[in-house]
Amino acid sequence: MTNISIRNLSKSYGDVVVIPGINLEIRDKEFVVLVGPSGCGKTTTLRMIAGLEEVSGGEIWFGERDVTNLRAGLRNTSMVFQNYALYPHMTVAQNIGYGMKVRKVPKPEIDKAVRKAAQILDLEAYLERRPKNLSGGQRQRVAIGRAIVRDPDIFLFDEPLSNLDAKLRIEMRSEIKALHRRLQTTIVYVTHDQVEAMTMADRVVVMRDGNIEQSDDPITLYEKPANIFVASFIGAPSMNFLEGTITSGEGGAQFQTTDGVTIALPANKWADAAGRPVVLGIRPEHATESSPTKTVVTMLVKSVEPLGPHTLINGTVAGAKFTAQMPAGTSFEPGESAEIHINLDKAHLFDGASELAIR
Amino acid sequence: MIVLAMAIFPLIYSLSISFMHYRLIPPMPPRFNGLDNYAKILGQARFWSVIYTTSVIVIFSVFLQYVIGFAVATALNAKIRGSSVFRVLLLMPMLIAPVAVALIARMILNPVIGPLDQFLTMFGFPDLPFLSNKNWAMGSLIAVEVWQWTPFVILLMLAGLQTLPRDVYEAATLENASKWRQFWDITFPMLLPISVAIIFIRIIESFKIMDTVFVMTGGGPGIATETLTLFAYQEGFKKFNLGYTSALSFLFLIFIIVIGVIFLAIVKPYVEKRS
Repeated sequence: MTNISIRNLSKSYGDVVVIPGINLEIRDKEFVVLVGPSGCGKTTTLRMIAGLEEVSGGEIWFGERDVTNLRAGLRNTSMVFQNYALYPHMTVAQNIGYGMKVRKVPKPEIDKAVRKAAQILDLEAYLERRPKNLSGGQRQRVAIGRAIVRDPDIFLFDEPLSNLDAKLRIEMRSEIKALHRRLQTTIVYVTHDQVEAMTMADRVVVMRDGNIEQSDDPITLYEKPANIFVASFIGAPSMNFLEGTITSGEGGAQFQTTDGVTIALPANKWADAAGRPVVLGIRPEHATESSPTKTVVTMLVKSVEPLGPHTLINGTVAGAKFTAQMPAGTSFEPGESAEIHINLDKAHLFDGASELAIR
Repeated sequence: MIVLAMAIFPLIYSLSISFMHYRLIPPMPPRFNGLDNYAKILGQARFWSVIYTTSVIVIFSVFLQYVIGFAVATALNAKIRGSSVFRVLLLMPMLIAPVAVALIARMILNPVIGPLDQFLTMFGFPDLPFLSNKNWAMGSLIAVEVWQWTPFVILLMLAGLQTLPRDVYEAATLENASKWRQFWDITFPMLLPISVAIIFIRIIESFKIMDTVFVMTGGGPGIATETLTLFAYQEGFKKFNLGYTSALSFLFLIFIIVIGVIFLAIVKPYVEKRS
């Protein structure tokens, strides 16, 4: 049983406050991904959990243990580093077995554990090689192997895939996910790649400027973003935002952009948000050639990106940047106007001042 | 070609002289005498005593330079307050000319009026024969060598330490490896190649020790601290026995090569194991 409880955890370097204070509960066996742009404090949080970074305030608990001031080596976590952090002068087998050697485990036992880990990670042929004679993906696997032989309470991953090429990254993504199913250990994983976060996590924690913006499972995050930041960070291509106000008129409410473009809203939807500045958020996949709500906007096309399964059209709607996802084979010339159908049932509305979602 | 000739010519010239009977005083025409010079040197007890003395100084001083230098470099590498000041101060001895160092040392070690003697007699020690007793004199020479050349080791080891990746130590920290273990399991093996290079340079340099001994003890008491170069100097510039001195220099060269090869052969398996 290792749940992690982070209570009012803060970190500052001198006068610079990196993390003002976060609270996070991570359940036993949960795969939690911390995601956010660079400098959002996700790696610092991970390193504080590992014990590599001192805590400025607050507490960290592993189950019933207060580990806030416990030495890193006694926390029984293992970490996979961004640059692998393999011991360059040791062979793969020695790298994987080093932790056990430190803990004075008898040699036959180490050999057995190393061989088992190598088998899981498909490294058996490389046990006598040194890290410099391995490819990036193999090095990453050795780093993971070193982490799993320890049988730790918690796995920590610090952007482990960012040095791999795109294809290998997708492979390793599913391998790590499979590993989690197999080992049933709590995992905290840090990445700046929202696709990685969405595909691997049981729960994604979106961070910005040292604060947790939202902490939910991937689908909730996608369908019900708590604020404009989360809405724009999750999903690729990014969500479109139109600024304006809601006015109640005859035949229901309307959304009016600052440029004067009017979009009729479905009956009873967001009627109570009338009168204040709001932001309408529409994902590109909900701005396409037809929609159940039959809402049409005119888009000034600037560029067309055929991707195969579908074609992206970039341009502006009512002066704001806008991307629409059209069926494959759609062709527009830059400079043309395009009629885009918006599915308002899937659209999001945010408060213009607080940036929070209005449901 | 010219460069090669310039490099090789002096060697060939002195090699040819080493096979001759060639004295400046009394000025007699040089004549070929084959391996006589070599045979004479190898049969001389003084030569072997000089080899022994030099080897003892080299082995002890290089060992101490490396151990102390590595320790100080490790300390300087840790982020301590004012470490940049220490870095500069600790490099000072290396910048002083060896003759000056030896002169300073001779004054400090003066058995009656030297400050070290005065300091020690304060605690009731008798006047100590720093330079006039065989063992004390050797110890003093080694101490001065260590004082002067440890900074060289510090400088290079510090450069080596700064190239080591930080995350490797973090990984070891998470494995609950103590600082001591981290040093022996990570730092030492990773710095082994540079250590070998440093020790190699220091061994070769130390065998050429001359000025320090010349100024501090002049090889005495007797010939107890006489080193190879000092011996060669005595033969060449006091007795002007050039053929004999050239032969001596060549034996010296061969000896250093043999020592160097043996050293590299001993450490080779360890260095290869890691690369």
